[in-house]
Order: sequence, then C-alpha cells, then structure tokens
Amino acid sequence: MFFVGGQTHIKDYYDIIVIGGGPAGMSAALYAGRAGLSCLVIESNISGGQMNETDIIENYPGIDEIQGAVLAEKMKRHAEKFGAQFHTATVVEVDFSGQVKRVKLDDGNTISSEVVVIATGASHRKLNVPGERELSAKGVSYCATCDGHFFKGKTVALVGGGDTAMTEALYLSNIVEKVIVIHRRDKLRATKILQDRAFKKENIEFLWNTIVKEIRGNGKVESLLLENKKTGESFTLKVDGIFIAIGITPNTELFKGKVNLDSQGYILTDENMETNIKGVYAVGDVRSKRLRQVITAVADGAIAVTHAAENYFD
Amino acid sequence: MGLLSPSDVEYLKDLFSKEMQDEVKILVFKSDDKSKCEYCDITVDVLKEAAETDDRIQLEVYDIEDDEIIAEKYNVKGRVPTIIFLTSDGVDKGVRYYGIPSGHEFSTVIQNIISFSKGAQPELSEASKEKLKAIDKPTEILVFVTPTCPYCPRAVQLAHEIAKANENITSAMVEANEFPEWSMQHQVSAVPHIVINDETAFVGAYPEDMFVDYVLQHAR
Repeated sequence: MFFVGGQTHIKDYYDIIVIGGGPAGMSAALYAGRAGLSCLVIESNISGGQMNETDIIENYPGIDEIQGAVLAEKMKRHAEKFGAQFHTATVVEVDFSGQVKRVKLDDGNTISSEVVVIATGASHRKLNVPGERELSAKGVSYCATCDGHFFKGKTVALVGGGDTAMTEALYLSNIVEKVIVIHRRDKLRATKILQDRAFKKENIEFLWNTIVKEIRGNGKVESLLLENKKTGESFTLKVDGIFIAIGITPNTELFKGKVNLDSQGYILTDENMETNIKGVYAVGDVRSKRLRQVITAVADGAIAVTHAAENYFD
Repeated sequence: MGLLSPSDVEYLKDLFSKEMQDEVKILVFKSDDKSKCEYCDITVDVLKEAAETDDRIQLEVYDIEDDEIIAEKYNVKGRVPTIIFLTSDGVDKGVRYYGIPSGHEFSTVIQNIISFSKGAQPELSEASKEKLKAIDKPTEILVFVTPTCPYCPRAVQLAHEIAKANENITSAMVEANEFPEWSMQHQVSAVPHIVINDETAFVGAYPEDMFVDYVLQHAR
C-alpha cells in the first residue's frame, strides 16, 4: 500500500487553525471547509493520529472494516477536497491572549487565526517501572504496528486489558510466536467481541491479576519481574519484548495555564466544545469526556466548527 | 489496476500541477535477482506510476550490476533498491532511500518530488539552517523505519531536509525489514531509529530543533 499525502505551501493567516490531524481535527477541517472558512491542520507526524496504529477499525458505522491508516488517508483527502490545508510541523508555543490567536511552529513559521481547535489527542501512558526507560526501544514498545515486525518468531508480553490492548494482542499474534497478556484484573475491559477473538487465539495466553514490577535485561529486554496481586507472589517471565497498552495521557503540555484542564490533564469544554477561552475549542481524545473513539472524535470536530462558524464568522 | 488508485493519480496530478516548479530526477537502482531484492520490481513500478502523473518527473532505472559505474558514482554500495533524488540541474543533495518507501513513507517521496522541483531548498527554521552550517565533515544520517510506523515519515522528512541544508550531510530512509543485518548491527527493535555516523543517536519522533542538535553532537 502507498499513501500519497502531499503538502502545499502555507499562508500566515487562516480563519481556523486545527492543532492535530487525528479524526477529530480532520472532521473539524472538513466542516470548516464546507462552512467556507480557510483552515490549516498542523500535524506533527502523519495525519490520522492513533488510527494509524490501529490495524483494523470495525466500529465506524457504514464501514464494516477498514485499516486505520486507510481511514486516516480517506479523512484527510475528504477534508482537502473542501479546501483544508495540512502542514507537518510541531507546535512549540500558543498565544491565546488576544482576539487573534497565534501558533508558533518548530519549522520557524508563526500562524495566526481567529479560532483555534485543539485536537492534539493523547499519547501512550507509561508503566513507570524500573527498566522501562532504560530498555525503551530495546524491547519495550508502545506501538505494535510500528515495532511488531522486529519480534517475528519471538515471545512478547502485552500489558493491558482494554480495546487497544486486545487489538494489539491480536495484531501481534499474527507475527510473533506467542503473546502473553498481562492484566492487573481478573477480567478484560475490552469490548466483548475483541475478548472472544483473543481467547480463541492459540498463541495468546493470559496472566490474570498480575502486574509488572520491573523490566530486566542487559542491553535488551530479557525478562519481567511480575507479581500476582491476589497471592502477593513474585515471579519472573522470560520474554523478548514487552508492548505496553495501558491507556493514554492527554497531550496538553502546551496548554497548561492557557485553558482550563481537569485533574487528569484533559481539556474542559462546554457542550459546544469551547474551552474557557472564547474562540478556542478542544475536540477528540484531548477533551475531558467519557468515550474516546473515532466516532466520538469526529462528532466533537463537527460540533466545534459548526459553533465557531455561527459565532465568530459572518 | 496499478499500485496507485485512479483517485491517487488524480490527486497527484493536481498536487504536482500546483506545487512543482521545474524538473526533478529520480534515480532508482535495482537488481533482477529476487533473492537479493524482493521489493525491487514493486519499487520501480510505483515510481513509474508516480512519474507518469507529471512530465517533469524523470525516472532513471539502473541495474546494480549492469550499471556499475553509475552505481559507484552515487555510492550505492550494492544496496537495492536505492532511490536518489536530483534537482533539475542534476545536483545530488544527499537524499536517499534504501528499501521500498511503502505505506506512510511514500508521502515523503511525494514531498521530495515537489521539493527537488524547486531546487531542494531545506524546509527548516532559520535557526536550524544556521546551526547546520557548522558541519564541515561528511556526516551520514540513517533513519530506520517500518512501512506501518506512523511516526517514521516525519523523521525521514526531517533527515532529508537536514541533508538539503548542508552538502556534507547525506541522509537516508532504511526500510528495516529489507536490511535485517544492517538493522541488527544497530540493534534496531523500535522505529524510527536514527543512526548518525554509524552510531545510534536516538529512537523516536523528535521535533526539529532536537533532531538538529543530535546531528551536531554526532557530527563531531
């Protein structure tokens, strides 16, 4: 498969700047284009966000099943069709103090806009155990689609019990010899259908009520020190790699002190997705809310931009 | 049907007509020996399809054995497939791909077509360009990737922009699956994995200023 994303040169002012090119940001861009507003999406990697790390998406109504990366490309193309522009760069600073907002990028550009939509999403949460940082990229990974290939024919651990964890376990089970799921509870949080599939796989094993105490190895991951929470018993497990999928943490470092956040660092909004700062919206995984899925992300984007179009542009 | 869908082709025609300025040359080195190069055919095919979307894209296909002299001129070292971009004047800015740029990586090929048609000016901040002027010795950046890694194209793109900024710097995407020994040598087990002058510099997607600082550190 070949993704043919391209970039066009950018201007220094847009009606709406969207920070982050995941599904929420791309939906915002689509709605902006259709409202006749100029819109720039700033994405630090490849448009699509966490969809790109999702092997198969099969809970988006109307689409039985699609590769996450393909849906990402379709959404980008769709937004571009209605005039949205995409630019690859990392935002280093935002200024929301005036009516005109300013966004500074790592490539030296500074862009202004009337409205900013924050769609920076979330990153993988870390275990915070000894060895994790030292052996990061030496067998510790947070992205199965990125790094799964390096463990062909090997045994890996997968920590977590949610939808992402099971999706990754299933993806890895097609590449590696054996996946050992380590979960701190006695049942999974993942959607039933994903659980069923994982239980059916012969090369996926489960260690229940178990937590990782330490990741060990000399230059590369060799074993894990685990603890059974029920019995209190500690034991080691030999593995060649460990994939960590224990949830996410919001990408809100840039916005601390600029917009209101909840106690976990997610951005607080009203029902129109607007933050406490007029003209600044937050959509998708970065927002304080209950359900974080592609479908709720795209809904957020639509709501935010429709509100912005009605209230800040004539 | 081709490797690129009809809508991809339309998209590229439109994009190139808006963004390309001059001509661009793409050299691709291949081998017909399947045991040496599983992905050479498909690499050549997809580049041909991309080249057909605009007359200004000139694709030159060379065989690693039959065209030994030119392979040596561009220091290909037997790696196949190798892709090299040149400006319309034939200037080599040190931008390379070792292995197939499939999946997300293909977007960086599209970016380079546009960039080289405009003389391959580095798309970096003034501060980065100024810092990179200090590098006066040959410096090689390798970015090990997998085609399913969404964090890799940005690292490849940055490495390529850095190469465009200083003639002493070359930079390459390396598709880890196709070069297992090379990947093992640098203990690549997560991507993007960035090697500078034969030493692992860092792993992961870093912003421009940090990437540039790593290049300066390792160039010494």
